[in-house]
Amino acid sequence: MHGSLEHLKIEIDMLAPGGERITGRELPLDIIARDVIFGEGPVWDARNRQLFYTDIIGDTIWRWKPGGKPEAILRPSVKANGLALDLENRLLVAGWGGRTVFRFEKDGTRKTLADRWEGKKLSSPNDIVVKSDGSIWFTDPPGGLLNVGMVGDDLQRYLDNQPVFRIAPDGRTLTIVTDDFVYPNGLCFSPDEKLLYVNCSRERLIRVYDVKPDGSLGKARLFHQYTGPERGVPDGIKCDVEGNVYCTAPGGIYVHDASGKVLARIKTPGHHPTNIAWGDDDWRSLYITMIGSVVRTRLNVAGVPSR
Amino acid sequence: MTWKFEQVAGPYKGRTGGLAWDGAAMLFSAVAEERILRFDPAAGKAEVFRKYTGRTNGIAVAADGSVFGAQEGGRRVIQFLKDGSTAPTSELLDGKHHNQPADVIVDSRRRVWFADPWNGTPPYGPPAYPFLDHASVLRLDPAGNRAWTMKRVTHDTRGPRAILLAADEKTLYVADGDAERGDVCQLFAYPVKPDGGVGPGKALLVFAPAERGIEGVCLDSGGNIVACAGWKKGGVGPSIYVISASGTILETHPAPADLPMRCAFGDAGLDSLYLTAGDGGLYRARNTGRRGLKR
Repeated sequence: MHGSLEHLKIEIDMLAPGGERITGRELPLDIIARDVIFGEGPVWDARNRQLFYTDIIGDTIWRWKPGGKPEAILRPSVKANGLALDLENRLLVAGWGGRTVFRFEKDGTRKTLADRWEGKKLSSPNDIVVKSDGSIWFTDPPGGLLNVGMVGDDLQRYLDNQPVFRIAPDGRTLTIVTDDFVYPNGLCFSPDEKLLYVNCSRERLIRVYDVKPDGSLGKARLFHQYTGPERGVPDGIKCDVEGNVYCTAPGGIYVHDASGKVLARIKTPGHHPTNIAWGDDDWRSLYITMIGSVVRTRLNVAGVPSR
Repeated sequence: MTWKFEQVAGPYKGRTGGLAWDGAAMLFSAVAEERILRFDPAAGKAEVFRKYTGRTNGIAVAADGSVFGAQEGGRRVIQFLKDGSTAPTSELLDGKHHNQPADVIVDSRRRVWFADPWNGTPPYGPPAYPFLDHASVLRLDPAGNRAWTMKRVTHDTRGPRAILLAADEKTLYVADGDAERGDVCQLFAYPVKPDGGVGPGKALLVFAPAERGIEGVCLDSGGNIVACAGWKKGGVGPSIYVISASGTILETHPAPADLPMRCAFGDAGLDSLYLTAGDGGLYRARNTGRRGLKR
């Protein structure tokens, strides 16, 4: 399903005014990892200058330091998916096949933060993000109960909705912030955290919400709907410091301005990006997880730091 | 004897599929609704048995009361456990993901046989895995502690739709061929060897080109095969056949709806025949003059 890495290159199309300033026309490419079946969950740990990512089907959480080789830190990983870092720089995991959200403690043990809603098992936590108040936000579609090669020990879906959940800064209190979606996947905050973007893989769209001080959301607005014929669905989503929105979607990674307008599309022909993360000291590197690899390119605008 | 079918449940969205009598009621798959329903003949109505089945089609009740399902959408056989959870089996044949199972049966040794054709509806998830280059009958053998090993059983099928074991489990019947893909449809009988493999298959029935072959099979107490087949588009039309073990058609009955999907005996005495169909209904003919095989 993915072409040879030897022929992998990064291309830009759909350039609109303002796009080239962000992406340039020639993008560099570094291959970070090749032995990946289904890359996901990239997050840059700035304090330790290292990247974490997951291989869902390979059932592993990986760590990579520049200049080194990827090192497995958890295998099996309950088919871990999205990753994030909390305010204390602890790694948070959207546990997909294992149906939990958990945290790596400083002593290396793992603590479950969420596994049920009203007594019922969660479906399969997919992607996860931390707000500066310490609250943890994650999507819970059922793909980890169905997708080929990605499931855990119990494939039964119990929840009738597909919520976006919020774990309060106390690390325990779980609430549903929205269940507008038929398949919520990636989510991220605007740089000022006044907006939450959530994409939907089934309806191929992004919705945006005002985030209220109490952690609840305003009414949804449609930010963008993807209508291209290419393969791929909205999956990973991140913002840069200017408020531009980057989303893996049909045919590549779309770059939108804050109004939703498409400024450019970053393509990896023959390869299927799943998620993205900003990284390196200046936060201008874009790490891209794909089916079959993890790669890195460089952009002209810095991303919102992951911590 | 004329079989009089009545619609007892539905219609549901899309085709209804797999059928399995659980001893007191008839389980049936509403495939596109991703549900299994349970028609209780005493109450005369169907209730939800399981939601979110991932387009499970064929179903089979195991000795412990759990239900195996051929999950077309997930490319796997799953096990609906009595506590409400759903266990996976193995998804891999020699390290490769198999196709989209359509039918499943359990034998007396708890081995799970399934038909693994290609399917027109794509499976769930990103397309990370190609399909097998063959469409065969496969089998899961229990390997202890919820583990399974998967083996390939047939090597000459083109698209097995439905499977059945004879009462002594020494013959495997396979309805092969997907008319919607342009296959010639046949009913094969394979001798089952003591090691679980099969000998050369014998074609009991060969349907004319463009005739929709058998989609569902069950066994009566005399060892005859009851099979549903056909479509209004051509040939003899939607029908239910009673076929001897040697391949002679003993009876033909018109099906009550187009694209009959599966058939199974049920009700007290196992003398009613239930049928699912392309219109999403569940049908029943009482007093068929035949009884289902009680396993």
